[in-house]
Amino acid sequence: MIPCRRAHELSSEALDRQLSLSERLRLRLHLGMCVSCTRVDRQMDFMRQALRRLGDG
Amino acid sequence: MDGATELSATLGQMRPVLMNLARLQLRNEALAEDAVSETMLAALEQADTFRGGSKIRTWVVGILKHKVVDQLRRHKREISIDERLDADDGMELDDLFKNDGTRLVPAQDWGSPEELLSQKEFFETLQSCIDQLPANLGRVFLMREWLEYETHEICKELNITTTNCHVMLFRARLRLRECVEHKWLGTKVRA
Repeated sequence: MIPCRRAHELSSEALDRQLSLSERLRLRLHLGMCVSCTRVDRQMDFMRQALRRLGDG
Repeated sequence: MDGATELSATLGQMRPVLMNLARLQLRNEALAEDAVSETMLAALEQADTFRGGSKIRTWVVGILKHKVVDQLRRHKREISIDERLDADDGMELDDLFKNDGTRLVPAQDWGSPEELLSQKEFFETLQSCIDQLPANLGRVFLMREWLEYETHEICKELNITTTNCHVMLFRARLRLRECVEHKWLGTKVRA
């Protein structure tokens, strides 16, 4: 199983490039067992949404 | 109040916000001033192209993004990326993980995304955390997430490798996440 650090990296890279099949699988397996990394994964995605609204308010 | 007066008033009120955004991306006062002046002028000159549909602020921020991109292109050299500056940036991030790569402290729950997005204070926290990013990381991160450049376009514009670009984006996101969590949840606990 990949460590949290690698899971964080893959969560980030998923926002910038298409992950390979094995990367996606490893990330999903890790997220399935790790609440903390699941939060980080969602928060990175959320920060993108927030950034796109910067200044609109 | 007629349309032109209203637009002028809105632009006047928005100027500080526009300056903050331009500064965050360009990290250069003079270039930020230029981008904002060009934005306000363009908005006034193109007032008739604004169709009520989107909010006026969204429309103006849209123009600002174009003007900031123009500045980035025009002043490539002054704001070029020095990859070496970020070489010693790894330390702080490594403090988040044990040697085997597991997190030392679990990530916290931030609550409902919709609720966060509706709070002005959250955006203020976010901006202050972006401001604290090392200049190179902040610039690459905002090009990607605010100006919505594709990763390969960032590599080309800044003349950095794809790998380096991914690493910089990762570091920026992670630092930002930790900063937002610390500041935002910290405020809520005190409140």
